[in-house]
Amino acid sequence: MQSQTFRHRVFLFILVAPAFVVLFGVVIYPFFYNIVLSLSNMNLRHIRDWRIIGFGQYVKVFTEPSQPDFYVVFVKTVIWTVVNLFFHVMLGVFLALVLNQKEIRGKAIFRAILVLPWAVPQLIVALTWRGMFNYEYGSINLMLTQWFNLPGVQWLRQPLEAFIAVIITNVWLGFPFMMVIALGALQSIPHDLYEAADIDGASWYHKLRHITIPLIQPVMVPAITLGTIWTFNNLNIVWLVSNAGEPSDQTHLMVSFVYKAAFNFYRYGYGAALSMVIFFILLIFSLTFMRKSKATQNVYS
Amino acid sequence: MNARAALRAAVGLMSAVIVLTAVITADGCRTSGDDRIRLTIWHQDRIDIRIILQRQLDRFMQTHSGVRVEQLFKETEELRSGFIIAALAGQGPEIVYGPSDQVGPFELMQIILPLEESFPREWLAQFDPKGLTWYKGHLYQVADKLGNHLTLVYNRKLVPVPPASDEDLIRIGKGLTTDLNGDKKTDRYGLTWNYTEPFFFIPFMTGFGGWIMDEAGNPTLNNRGTIDGLKFITRLRDLEKIIPNEADYNVADILFKDGNAGMIINGDWSWAGYQNAGLDIGVAPLPQISSTGLWCAPMVSPKGFSLNANISDEKKALALELIRFLMSEECQMEATRELYTMPTHLGAQQSDFVQRNEILRNSRIQITRGRPLPVIPELRAIWDAMRPSYQAVLAGTMTPERAAEEMQLLALRRIKEMNE
Repeated sequence: MQSQTFRHRVFLFILVAPAFVVLFGVVIYPFFYNIVLSLSNMNLRHIRDWRIIGFGQYVKVFTEPSQPDFYVVFVKTVIWTVVNLFFHVMLGVFLALVLNQKEIRGKAIFRAILVLPWAVPQLIVALTWRGMFNYEYGSINLMLTQWFNLPGVQWLRQPLEAFIAVIITNVWLGFPFMMVIALGALQSIPHDLYEAADIDGASWYHKLRHITIPLIQPVMVPAITLGTIWTFNNLNIVWLVSNAGEPSDQTHLMVSFVYKAAFNFYRYGYGAALSMVIFFILLIFSLTFMRKSKATQNVYS
Repeated sequence: MNARAALRAAVGLMSAVIVLTAVITADGCRTSGDDRIRLTIWHQDRIDIRIILQRQLDRFMQTHSGVRVEQLFKETEELRSGFIIAALAGQGPEIVYGPSDQVGPFELMQIILPLEESFPREWLAQFDPKGLTWYKGHLYQVADKLGNHLTLVYNRKLVPVPPASDEDLIRIGKGLTTDLNGDKKTDRYGLTWNYTEPFFFIPFMTGFGGWIMDEAGNPTLNNRGTIDGLKFITRLRDLEKIIPNEADYNVADILFKDGNAGMIINGDWSWAGYQNAGLDIGVAPLPQISSTGLWCAPMVSPKGFSLNANISDEKKALALELIRFLMSEECQMEATRELYTMPTHLGAQQSDFVQRNEILRNSRIQITRGRPLPVIPELRAIWDAMRPSYQAVLAGTMTPERAAEEMQLLALRRIKEMNE
């Protein structure tokens, strides 16, 4: 009996081992190595003779005057994440609700069209939007000036406008994910619940509030948590649409700030400390959000 | 299935995975089923150069049956950071190819080898000294191309004679700048270039007597040349109105290709592309600034080969042989004939083709007037310090005087951060 239990454990270990080896190589080891780097002075001048210096890099992250300023970048990153997530979820859930209606014909075609932004490579999307935001030749300004008789906007030359431009691009890119998730969740809601609500004379709002939202919540909360982490850490869109922080380094997010420190200026210790700060921000957010939204609670209980 | 059978199946599966992994990764220098020694070159060259390089590599492999050479394209930044990471981990390609400014950080990190002992002096003497990058007393790069420099490219249909001075430039530019369809918007501009990168600002800075650093490598961005160069650009846009309001590399490139700009400031990498697009182009040296009497001088850099410090002795001998082959007059002329790249081989420079071809003649004049790209690692800090203020001036949110001041302060701070 004991040897059978042992064999069973060995069997389980063998099943888990390949995944563990891969996880160790690509997640656990780099994560702990990053922690070590964040406590070191590794940079261009100390790439081979680096040593542990304690929490000096963390102190620098919060106190060193930087261009752009760390706190400004942090606030911009929070605004970027909140605004993006708001529109991703609102647009995604709205379109999912529309597509979930029985009366809609050609759902498959609409679904394919709406998923298109998600299917196109981000590089192509970002560069296309960058072209569209050009002051003189971009289609957005051409529409504003020719169709609406409005003055053209300096999308990529002024800090606020450039920030709005990258948000618009990312909203366009991000809503299909939330739509697909919400649509899946909506389709799994038993239809008899709505029929019962109809018999009770519930309005569409009451059905939305008391049936739809609670029942899609277990699916949407992890999606929103993931969306937050992805959006907070999104480098591609800002880097490509704003051409690495244009104008004048005013469109940086924390992750592009890290990229610049580590790979443009070879400040590996500082970059590692900054990335750990981002990690803790996202960890605290995720834990708090999951707890507050009771994501793991069984909605049917 | 009982536990014993399942265990056997799992062990069998694991063994298969391990054996497969071992076969795939066995001996990093040889591909599976291929006994040839593998050499890899990382570079950041565009597609037309890659095609020529592949032809040359194929010829090399025909005469060296025991060697397999692979080229791998990487974007400039990816190449630099990827090579640093790989080489520090004891890995990476045997040969890394690129502009000379990567030598500075690579040398500091000790990830490339000095080459002066690897090549005979007589062999090195065949090349233009500007193509041999010496740094801290050692030769770290041998280049097959010289330039990577900006010139004035013009559309011959629109510009019969290129401008020789800033006054000519404005006069010709004004003649070209037109509202073609009467909608009160400019459809064609005289001149364009990429406004977002300070690399394209350097000719204006030098034309007004400025330079980015002193001989000791300290930044000197707060100078008259920077201020007057910035004022000149804003004058071209806001007063003379001969350049577009906003242009990055792609916009400028498309404007020129579509005939919506008569002239463009662009590098030697762009010429063949414009010809392939059906444009009848001319290449001229950048104009002279009348008030200073100085020519607008772009940065000039060689592009060449360096050896990874981790290379084995067996591979090093082959890699050196490959470099000698790619540096040969024949190989250099192949690229020169097709793409108008300036060769470093003195024999190739003296060839009839280089001497007689108008594009190459003017390219050579521009190279002679240009300033060598500094090799020191701090150059990166200087570019980064210039970018925000340069862009702010073009956005109209900063004066040229303030921009020059900010550039200098930020450069000093960046260099301090890099070297802490």
